[in-house]
Amino acid sequence: MTLRADGVTRAYGDEVVFRDVDLRVPQGEVVAIIGPSGVGKSTLLRLLGLFTPPDEGSVAVDGTDAWSLPTDDRLALRRRVGVVFQEASLFDASVARNVEYGLRVRRSWRERVHDELRALVGTTELPDTARDALDVVGLADYVDKPADSLSGGEAQRVAFARALAYDPDFLLLDEPTSDLDPRNTAVIEDAMTAAAERDIGVVVATHDMNQAQRVADRVAVLLDDSVIESGPADRVFENPRDERARKFIDGELVY
Amino acid sequence: MVAVLAALMPLADVVSTLVQAAAGPLFVEFPFERTYVLSIIYVSLYVSLSAVALSTLFSVPVALVVGFTDFPGKRLVKAAINTGMGFPSVVVGLVVLFAVSNQGPLGELNLVFTKEAMIMSQFVLATPPITGIALASVTGVQADVRDAAFALGGTRLDVALTVVKEARYGIATAVLAGFGRAISEVGSVLIVGGNIAGSDGVSKTRTLTTAVQLEARQGRYETALVLGAVLLVLVLAVNAVVVRLGDGGQMR
Ligand SMILES: Nc1ncnc2c1ncn2[C@@H]1O[C@H](COP(=O)(O)OP(=O)(O)OP(=O)(O)O)[C@@H](O)[C@H]1O
Ligand SMILES: [Mg+2]
Repeated sequence: MTLRADGVTRAYGDEVVFRDVDLRVPQGEVVAIIGPSGVGKSTLLRLLGLFTPPDEGSVAVDGTDAWSLPTDDRLALRRRVGVVFQEASLFDASVARNVEYGLRVRRSWRERVHDELRALVGTTELPDTARDALDVVGLADYVDKPADSLSGGEAQRVAFARALAYDPDFLLLDEPTSDLDPRNTAVIEDAMTAAAERDIGVVVATHDMNQAQRVADRVAVLLDDSVIESGPADRVFENPRDERARKFIDGELVY
Repeated sequence: MVAVLAALMPLADVVSTLVQAAAGPLFVEFPFERTYVLSIIYVSLYVSLSAVALSTLFSVPVALVVGFTDFPGKRLVKAAINTGMGFPSVVVGLVVLFAVSNQGPLGELNLVFTKEAMIMSQFVLATPPITGIALASVTGVQADVRDAAFALGGTRLDVALTVVKEARYGIATAVLAGFGRAISEVGSVLIVGGNIAGSDGVSKTRTLTTAVQLEARQGRYETALVLGAVLLVLVLAVNAVVVRLGDGGQMR
């Protein structure tokens, strides 16, 4: 199974962010999108996450062009993709309620009403997948804490667990370690590779070259307005074909 | 409603005891005073709570639509909300009275001088403030939180429900502000309700406000005082809750 973008172009008004970008995300691999700030990494993740349609080109899951489908069918594709944004954006509720959100919206309305009533009397049981996801980011003890009492780094890890909890086929991460210290960065990086081993296709947008080198199986370099280099991580880092890509990777190209 | 009344009974008793202490016996002079006062409280709460409940069901979806979608005439709707907040209640009463009168579009329903007509006019009065405050609070929910709800697999309806939950303290404030306006309003309920009480001393369309106005005019100051005190306590209690909510919702 793959998530792929074919020849996608995206503009905000007259400003073209990038054009004719191809990206293939197989399940079980970590794909890093690297590029300088403002180049359009977040914009590309929003396209892959089926938030907005591309101006040109297509985004497909398993060979199905998502934007050729009616909204309801697209929802089914969208629900196989987890997205974690740059800001943690937690809901004003407990960590548990945050982490089980994705599971909750997938339940029937009947179950959801029961759920809300149980939450009112305070007898909810966190589903195993949600508990495991919190465990992965090292926050198993935080279940009952209110989200607004967390530190920036803790919030970012809860946001990661929230997307992992419903076991998506693809996981899109936008600078997932920007607020983390080295130890917790390692926790999240391990979680990324562990997710890939569980056959999840992971995409991580980052401007941390070292992180890309540590976790990525494949790399796409986004520069100016297109992907100028992409391929297996080893090959791209050791032997980039594009001259600007080489300079960017070596830190010679300063933005 | 019965529970609320039961809770208010001691309140009315305490107030009347205080007034008696200050101004002599009250319930002795008017044997049906207690029924009279309680029935007035009942009418006031019934009309205001019904109007505010209906208005909330109407206002919150409207606030969501105005806040998060684009449609022609959106600016007009916003202008109407703002103008409506300061709309004179007697004019609202007059319009509702015309609507329910024999010649009006709702004349068939025979609603002149009924609680239902009062609920209608209070609905019209409570809706602009409730919609306005609800609109401000739902649009105050950060875009990235809405995105998160969508990203985690939520439908547009899920996103809307999440926004309502995130804005819950603001929406509660809106509801209480609407209730405050409804319960203390005189003009429109007087016009469409007619301030009617039966000969048995049971209020039909007499509310706390219209009763105070009547009792004061007829020189029955003790009764007016009891009724006024009950109204004051209700409004102060609501305000206290609003202030608590304004603290950033620390009632968790
Ligand atoms: N909603 C928007 N409206 C208009 N322009 C936008 C919008 N979102 C992003 N842009 C512009 O598109 C370009 C790409 O933004 P994007 O957020 O995708 O960059 P990025 O690579 O993620 O940057 P960073 O590394 O700083 O997060 C920027 O020039 C930005 O100003
Ligand atoms: Mg970004």
